[in-house]
Amino acid sequence: MKEFKPLPDKPAPADVVGVIPWLKDNLFPTPLNSLVTLALLAFFVTVIPPLFDWLFFSANWSGTTQDACTNKDGACWVFVIAWSKQFFYGSYPIEEVWRIHTCLIALVAIIIASFKLHKDLRNKVAIPLFLLLPFFSIVILDGSLIGLAYVSTDYWGGFTLNVMLAAASIIVAFPLSFLWALGRRSDMPFIRSVSVILIEFFRGVPVLALFFMGSVMLPLFFPEGTNVDKLLRVWIVLTLFMSGYMAEVFRGGFQAVPSGQYEAADSLGLGFWQKTLLIVLPQVIKISMPNILATFVMLFKNTTFLLIIGIFEMLSTTQTALANSNWLGGHSTEGYLFVAVVFWICCFSMSMISSSIERKLDTSHRN
Amino acid sequence: MSEKPQVKSSPSFFNNPRNRSLIYQFLLLAGLAYFFYGIINNTLVNMEARGIKSGYDFLFTTAGFDILMSLIPYDATYTYGRTFVVGLLNTILVSTIGIVLATIVGFLMGVAHFSKNWLIRKLAVAYIETFRNIPLLLQIFFWYFAVLATLPGARQSLSIGEAIFLNVRGLYLPGLIAEPGAGFVYAAIGLAFTAIIFLVRWARKRQNDTGQQFPVFLTSLGILVGLPLVALLLSGIPFVWDFPALKGFNFRGGITIIPELMALVLALTVYTGAFIAEAVRAGVQAVPHGQTEAARSLGLKESKIMKLIIVPQAMRVIVPLLNSEYQSLVKNSTLATAIGYPDLFTVFVGTTLNQTGQAIEIVFMTMAVYFVINMSISFVMNRFNASVELAERN
Repeated sequence: MKEFKPLPDKPAPADVVGVIPWLKDNLFPTPLNSLVTLALLAFFVTVIPPLFDWLFFSANWSGTTQDACTNKDGACWVFVIAWSKQFFYGSYPIEEVWRIHTCLIALVAIIIASFKLHKDLRNKVAIPLFLLLPFFSIVILDGSLIGLAYVSTDYWGGFTLNVMLAAASIIVAFPLSFLWALGRRSDMPFIRSVSVILIEFFRGVPVLALFFMGSVMLPLFFPEGTNVDKLLRVWIVLTLFMSGYMAEVFRGGFQAVPSGQYEAADSLGLGFWQKTLLIVLPQVIKISMPNILATFVMLFKNTTFLLIIGIFEMLSTTQTALANSNWLGGHSTEGYLFVAVVFWICCFSMSMISSSIERKLDTSHRN
Repeated sequence: MSEKPQVKSSPSFFNNPRNRSLIYQFLLLAGLAYFFYGIINNTLVNMEARGIKSGYDFLFTTAGFDILMSLIPYDATYTYGRTFVVGLLNTILVSTIGIVLATIVGFLMGVAHFSKNWLIRKLAVAYIETFRNIPLLLQIFFWYFAVLATLPGARQSLSIGEAIFLNVRGLYLPGLIAEPGAGFVYAAIGLAFTAIIFLVRWARKRQNDTGQQFPVFLTSLGILVGLPLVALLLSGIPFVWDFPALKGFNFRGGITIIPELMALVLALTVYTGAFIAEAVRAGVQAVPHGQTEAARSLGLKESKIMKLIIVPQAMRVIVPLLNSEYQSLVKNSTLATAIGYPDLFTVFVGTTLNQTGQAIEIVFMTMAVYFVINMSISFVMNRFNASVELAERN
């Protein structure tokens, strides 16, 4: 018997592989496209070298004062370096910065734990730890309760404040928004209408108006004489704002859970909370994860709005630094660029994670 | 067949779902009532202690402050009610310009994502991913403090053909002044729009009845340009150009766009445009490739495939996303207060609240306005959505 031996594969025709066909297909497919390509290339050639020169090669890197920026044709990164501690930690006392690091490390550790822990332990350990984290952080950063030096919230600031406010808000907003979304789906008319009003109010009103409400109206609501800390009020407002948006995300998640799941849980004889927490919630969170992350990115970017009510987060620290009398040399481009890069890295990596989850969840085989 | 014996089941009072739901709702009601009672009580006590008046009388007292830019006559002698209207108009102005420009930029960049040209594709991705992930307030500051503030002074203005000037004080455009007879031209424009609406209806009906197509687009364009042009010539061109000119230290005449408005519009356009581009990309990608292939196999031209097959299906995904982007643009326009553009938020929640101290009324009014604006956007977009939605056959 003759064994079947296929011939070796022929190479692809020379006019479809390699650099030149690729260039022809992607850069010069039609005469008009070729013109556009050439125009864009010309633009890049004229813009990019001077830009890189300004950014890196002619930039001033070393020194501590404005006078160190001798080369006027380059960026003055000395400004950013000199203010970097304020950008990240605000006016928090420098010898106490380890406390901020402790909180951030705790946050990262819990996030990693919630992915790595065995699934039996995950819910029992990670969720309570998450919920405790904001209070743990407040105790550590404030310090007066556990015998450390007291640091008033007036000194909290910088980029770490953006991160911590956003994290603390989403942690509390998680259970709250889940309740609101449940309420919106409820059969009980009064509970449903209250949930709808809450959700639509916090979604429909500009977040800036909510901040103003928090800073000028909220003090009127508390009993006379109580002085509620400014950051605490901001935290409340951010949490409610985030809850409104997340409740809608959860609602979408609820609608995506097949009704067979509810029926199966009912036929097993599970009660309402058992059904909701054990069967529906895990699926809802899985489905909603990309949108939750997208909402979180929005919240995180919106923490810069706190500048307007006088909270020293990163952007307002930058504005303060730019107005400092020792640094009046017009360093706004450098300052804004630095803040933009820091936020961009955080937001872009989160949206990358979000779209990778989306791709993993997408089981449809389209295209 | 014997009837099944009915088991009489009467759950205990607490296990009856009806009773339970009544009890829960009553508990929520009681909780809310207590909460609001507490808040209102505290507020009244606090307001008395701080000597804050209540009520809307302040709307009729003299404001006593100037506003940087106003679309209607305004100076410091007008009332707070007038400042509200001035702010509202400025908010509507910036939102409208922002929505129009962001839609144009967003659709261009969203379509560029599918270009045959690799450079354009990558440029679109870079634009979307860069500006979506940088806080809007930072972008506003960048345009205002780092770009527009470094423009030359009035005497060294950048200019195009001595008609358009750009300097640190703003952008100066030539304006049109209407003279008697202009009403004739306006009427012609109105007539042109009415004619087009009827033409579109007639052409659609004819195509449905006979299958014959009519070149609607070109005819409409002809009507839209032709009618007003004829009216313009017949009435002897009743418009005069009003060119800005340097007088003393500043430009006079024409239309002035203050740098605050420019920075705000630029930032809102670039930021929201990135989100709209992403929505357009998602919409076009949501149309299965089989649709294009089926259209090709029917022998449709590429331009017809886009117009008749892809766009109508993509719009179903795009329109709801556009709705929420427009609403967030309006809400984000409140950031005007950071650079001092006199929108509703700046003049009302900012200055008026500071002067009168009537926080509750002012914040309430402002929130209500944004609510109403967003509801109207939502209404219009939902109507539009209904027209592009999948018409399911029953």
